[in-house]
Parts: sequence; C-alpha cells; structure tokens
Amino acid sequence: MQQINELLLDENKMAFHPMMGNSYQLNDVGIEILKYLKEGKKKPEIIEILAERYSISKDALFIDVSDFMSKLKIYGLMV
Amino acid sequence: MTHTYEKPTINKIDFAMASKYGSPLKTQKIRQHIDGVNLDTLTEQFGSPLFVFSQQTIEEKYHALNTAFTSRYPDVQFSWSYKTNYLNAICKIYHDLGSIAEVVSEFEYQKARALGVEGKDIIFNGPYKPKEDLKIAVQEGAKIHVDNLFELGDLEEIADELGIRIPVAIRINMDTGVYPQWSRFGFNFENGEAFDAIERMYDKGKVYLVGIHSHIGTFMLDANAYRVATMKIMQLKTQVESAFNAQIDYIDLGGGFASKSNLKGVYQSAEVIVPTVDDYAEAITGAIYEFNTSDTLPKLYLETGRHLIDEAGYLLTSVQGWKRFPDGKKGYVLDAGVNLLYTSTWYNFNIELDKRYEGENEPSMLNGPLCMNIDIIEENLMLPALDRGSILSISPVGAYNYTQAMQFIRYKPAVVLIDTKGKPRLIKEVDDLATINYKEV
Repeated sequence: MQQINELLLDENKMAFHPMMGNSYQLNDVGIEILKYLKEGKKKPEIIEILAERYSISKDALFIDVSDFMSKLKIYGLMV
Repeated sequence: MTHTYEKPTINKIDFAMASKYGSPLKTQKIRQHIDGVNLDTLTEQFGSPLFVFSQQTIEEKYHALNTAFTSRYPDVQFSWSYKTNYLNAICKIYHDLGSIAEVVSEFEYQKARALGVEGKDIIFNGPYKPKEDLKIAVQEGAKIHVDNLFELGDLEEIADELGIRIPVAIRINMDTGVYPQWSRFGFNFENGEAFDAIERMYDKGKVYLVGIHSHIGTFMLDANAYRVATMKIMQLKTQVESAFNAQIDYIDLGGGFASKSNLKGVYQSAEVIVPTVDDYAEAITGAIYEFNTSDTLPKLYLETGRHLIDEAGYLLTSVQGWKRFPDGKKGYVLDAGVNLLYTSTWYNFNIELDKRYEGENEPSMLNGPLCMNIDIIEENLMLPALDRGSILSISPVGAYNYTQAMQFIRYKPAVVLIDTKGKPRLIKEVDDLATINYKEV
C-alpha cells in the first residue's frame, strides 16, 4: 500500500503520517504532485499537467518530478 | 494563465533542528557582488569557475597590519610570502605597498627578480635551496636564512668560491607552547642546536650572522605564542652578540597569523577565536622591548601571507547539475572542486548564493567536477533548491588555493583582480591544451 494515501495535509502545507508519526513540510508544487499521485496518476501524466499549467519544459519537469518521487521513496512513503 | 513554478519539495521535519538561533531551513547567505561588481557580470565576461581577488581588501588588510606594527615599533619591514599567492599582479600590489619578497625556492626567487625586486630585498627561506641558486642569491645580496648544516656547508663553499664572508640569518624552531610544534625547519633553540650551528659559523669564519628567524606555525590562534618566540629569539640574539662580538641586525618572526577562515573541527567562528592584528603586534613588539639588551633595536621582519590575502580571494563556481543520493541528500555538481581548493581539507568555507531562492533548505552536498569520489567541497550544507547555472561564491580562498591548485582533469581557471576603482581586470587567462602540453616532448 502506498503510504502517501495515509498522509494528512493541512492548510500550512504540512503533511502528517499518523502511523509513522512523521511530519513533512511541502511547497505548493509538492502538494500538487502529491495530490496527483494520490489520485493514481503516473509520472508522465503528472509532467504533462504541470508542463501545461506552468509553461515549464518537460525535460526540466522530468528532473524535478523524479527527484520529488525519489524523496517520497526515501521517506518510505512510496515504493 | 501561467502559474508561478517552484521546484517541488518535501522535507521531513526534524524538530531537533530548531534552536534559539533560528531555523536552518530558512537561512541563506547571499552575495551578489564583489566590490560592487555583479557576479553574473564576472562569470559572463571571464567564465566559470573563476578566481576573483579584491585589491581593496588586500590594501585594507595591509594597512591595518602595517598600522598595528608601525604604531608600536620604529623599524618594521613586511615581506610578501610568495608561496601564499605568487600571481604576478598580486605580488606587485604588495611590492607597491612596500613589501619586499620572501621566497622558498629558486623559481620563486626568479619570479621576484623578474618582477624587479632587487636581490637585497629578497628573503630566501626554505629547507632546500639548490647550491647553484644559493650562489646566485648570495651574489645578488639576498637575505639567506640557513635551514640546516648541509646548506651551511654549501654556503661556506660558496664563500670560498667567491672569496667573501657571507652575511646570513639562521632559522630556528622552538617550543612556544602550541601544538603541533614546528620542528622540521631550522635549528632547535632549546636543545642548543641553534647555538652550536652559530658557533660553527664563527669557528669557520666564512659566514657571519646578521639575523635570526623563526616561523612557529600556521593559522596561529594564540598570539602569546609569538611573545614566547620573540623572547627566545631575543635571548639567542643576546647570547650570540655576547659570545661572538656579533651584531644581529634583524629578527624575523615569519608569518602564521590567522585569517577569518573557519578551521574544521573548531566549534566557534573565526570572528570569536582569531586574534586581532593588535594582539599579534603587541605580543611581538612588547617582547622585543622587554628582552632587548642591546643599545639598538633590531629591524623586525614579518612574512605574513595568509592573514593579508585570504579574505581578498573568492572562487566563483556554477551549478552544473544535481542528483538525489540514496540517503536523501541532494548532491550538486559544480564546475570547481578540490582541484582548485586545496585548503578545503582544513577549512569550512563561507559559501554564498547569488540570490535569494524560494523554498526551504535541505541537506545538500557540494561536489566538484572531478571523476573522483573525494571531490567534495562541502559534505553537509543546508541549501534551498538551486538552479542549473546558479553561481556560488566560496571564500576566503585567497591564500594557498591558487598556488596549490592542481591542473587535474580540468583546466586551471582564469583569475580576475578587481582594482580599487571597482574595475575587474583579467590577470591570468584560463589554461588550454597548449598550456597542458607545453614542455612535453
């Protein structure tokens, strides 16, 4: 089970995982990606959405989204 | 409508990081200019990486040190330590300010001569002085500081060859109460080795002593060590003058005054632990007055290098890429590494960003461009998400880094001097293949 589904988000861009007892600080784009991941979207789809919304190259977004997902894995929130 | 993009971040909160000093997640050190010149302008015009020196800082440091000593003592002469930084333009600034030259090899000696410094204004130090170069230095009237008995023997032969008696100084080492004790250079004071060597000089009568020199260490954080060194030099001076009816004209306390760099493993900042120039000056000049037994005061030479130049030097480097390490740390690839920062082994540099970046800091590592696992400028630094092309300024790096920079894997970078009017000037071009292949046969 993806642990990101257990994350509780608040209005201060903080996330809390009740079972692990860990808190996380995110920024706006981080929250947005987390939301898409929770919806079951895959990396290529997320990149498409972000590229259109922010007018950023897909190559640049590939680096940033991959890095964000790497951190989720490092934190044990994704496999 | 286009929304504002920020690189996505998620950072696990470590509540132990918060302290009364504030949050390390927000702090950013920023430098956009050096002496009024924008960093972007410098790297666009001269490339990256780039060593940058501030003439204004060089002159301010020199005048402060000069005032500290000359306000206390009537006869002081500074001598620019070539090994600390022997770029011609840098040496020339110190010579224009009034410094003579202190060299430790034949190549440095030749460099000083090529810059127009007369032999009499060169102090020739160091543990190895090839005999043929020693002979030239003697003929040109340089101040020779004898390091060992083999060199003394060479000098005595040179005296015979030239049919003269050679005035020399002796380098001595001693216990000044600091660790580690520098005992590799010169003759030991406490065990009588120094006096024995001087006795040998007068027995043979081919050289005679005019000066006593010591260099007690580097980055000396205890000014009192200089008081002890000066006291012992003055004691030896009295002993020699009385035993051999000699006249010791000068004493040389070497260098070793600390800069505002942060030594690794030291908890407090340089601002707290580094003595002031007045502390050093008071320790040395006070001891001369206290222990002088002669009718006249000896001339005082100082070979301060690091203290004068370190804070005047910056290395500008650009972010070329980054990756996420398996432990979660972010690793930046820079275009400058330990090939250009020899002193990174001992000092934690001040690393400043070219602007304020959005987002919170996260643990980061700064790696250089070398295909070597050891190429780490900073292992653990809290940084915001930097862009490709972001410029970092690393300081203080004015002492020993350019002279010890390796031509390894990448070309040695260009060097720029910003003059006192705030105008940048290229003083060394970036190396190229011709530089690397030069002299290969």
